[in-house]
Amino acid sequence: MDSSVDITDIGTWEPPFIQPHKMGALNKFGQRTLRDNICREVFGVPVNDLVRRYGSPVFVVGEKHLRQNIRRIKSAFEQRYNLAVHGWSYKTNYISAICRILHQEGSLAEVVSKFEYEKARFLGVPGEQIIFNGPNKPKDILRRAIEDGALIQADHMEELKMLEAVADELGRIVKIGIRINFDTGFTEPWSRFGFNLESGQVNEAINFISRSDHLRLSSLHSHIGTFVLEPRAYAEQVRIMCELMRKLEGVENVAIDTIDIGGGIPSRNALQTIYLPPEQAVPDINEYADAICEALLAGTRYRKEIGKELPRLIFESGRAVIDDAEVLITSVVGTKRLPDGRRAAILDAGTNLLFTAYWYNHQVKMTRNAAGSEEETVLYGPLCMNIDVVRHSISLPPLAAGDHLVISPVGAYNNTQWLQFIEYRPNVVLAQESGGCSVIRQAEDLGVMMAQDQIPAHLASLDLSGKIRPLSRSGNHPTLNRKLV
Amino acid sequence: MTMAAAELLKELSKDDRLSRIAVSDTGFIFDPQTGQSFTLNKTGLVTLSHLKKGSSIDETADQLARQYGVTEEVALNSVEAFLLQLGRYL
Ligand SMILES: Cc1ncc(COP(=O)(O)O)c(C=O)c1O
Repeated sequence: MDSSVDITDIGTWEPPFIQPHKMGALNKFGQRTLRDNICREVFGVPVNDLVRRYGSPVFVVGEKHLRQNIRRIKSAFEQRYNLAVHGWSYKTNYISAICRILHQEGSLAEVVSKFEYEKARFLGVPGEQIIFNGPNKPKDILRRAIEDGALIQADHMEELKMLEAVADELGRIVKIGIRINFDTGFTEPWSRFGFNLESGQVNEAINFISRSDHLRLSSLHSHIGTFVLEPRAYAEQVRIMCELMRKLEGVENVAIDTIDIGGGIPSRNALQTIYLPPEQAVPDINEYADAICEALLAGTRYRKEIGKELPRLIFESGRAVIDDAEVLITSVVGTKRLPDGRRAAILDAGTNLLFTAYWYNHQVKMTRNAAGSEEETVLYGPLCMNIDVVRHSISLPPLAAGDHLVISPVGAYNNTQWLQFIEYRPNVVLAQESGGCSVIRQAEDLGVMMAQDQIPAHLASLDLSGKIRPLSRSGNHPTLNRKLV
Repeated sequence: MTMAAAELLKELSKDDRLSRIAVSDTGFIFDPQTGQSFTLNKTGLVTLSHLKKGSSIDETADQLARQYGVTEEVALNSVEAFLLQLGRYL
């Protein structure tokens, strides 16, 4: 190394660019060190095999990982409060095999729409093991849920009235819950869902129920937010709910046997707005279970004194259960140097499959040891939309077309919020606990996409004779002709 | 932008700062003052070698334009942007 250089190979033009080295990225000889950043296998299966068998992109779920997650989370709660029950939030990921795994592990189904309700029943979940939440429950599905014995938790006054009407029609006494919202002082209150406590809406709902001939209030439900990083927020939630339960002791038609605290416990994912890595920012599940169960034991102590049973605790954790049990394998289809000097790569999966890329900085790992130093790189998806960005800035070695990348954690909300825009949705594969893999959601093809379209009779045939100018006869192109004269 | 880049070049040329920076022919560079190391792409390496020899911004742009067959304007903009990057790191 000298302070003057002779350059024999000047390369081809691109904007001149300087990239600082990260500490530890190169050793003292200026060579790349072996990094932990290489991921050749996911859930014990080689990435190359997965792509060869199931194509790219492909989602992969680890069965063993998922079962370990749910067991750990359930035991954290059950150890501290033996009436704790988990409700699997379908909207987090309702691929049938995943729901079945969680039901096998003892989770109830927590559904929030007619579709989700019908899906849970279709999968064999008995009505008594379904919690029916959500702001839009049409009358026909409410009737079915009542007949099935599901726990319906009402969101607003019109729903309460509809419940009363349907129960009347069926001549049944129906145990229901109500969703409530209030300020814990920790999270932004989700006041659009349920009855507000501070403004007296909860009282109105209770008054309605206590005058009702058919409704009995047995459950209080609330959900304080998403990715709640502060366990004390749940302690406060539980304290407020128990205080309300205590106030309601002895009220006509009210006998609370369930406190449902919703979901919102974070997964080990990196929110774009949070600087610390998830290992540091996200408290362990045991800290949440501690805060929640301690507050619950304190808030229900009076029940022991009056000789009443303790309520069961339902928690509806979604992302904390599934997020890190699923990855997305994607491939590089092209690379660019942007005018501002940054590297960019175009992937075969974008925000169509990775809706959560709008708020997380997902982990991205290479599957081979790449030569060359890391540079700030932008990862784009395949959509014709400017907002289709998988990572805005990530330090990566030079990528080449055909490289596979493993993106994680992706198990929560992507297989439900993915959008069908210009691309087929890919296979979702389960790496089975017993070894081997199986497809749990088949890739879409033209047949799937056309199945819902209907063509009216007057559009039945496509006769184009003489109506469309062929693209290739450019001599007829009006603007071209104008330029030529 | 032109002013800022010219100022930066003046600043970086003080006390032979720029010429003391070690550069390998693969584009690995080391700044003895901070202990920080960097990688340059090929054009970055060519550009820095002109600047290290004391070429002005215009002279550097002129040579790049000839070496790579790009317009003076493209070369000039790139040299200025490159100097701003150097200013951030050195
Ligand atoms: C009522 C209810 N329960 C459970 C969940 C699951 O939340 P999470 O995945 O954050 O645990 C949600 C998500 O919005 C919800 O609204």
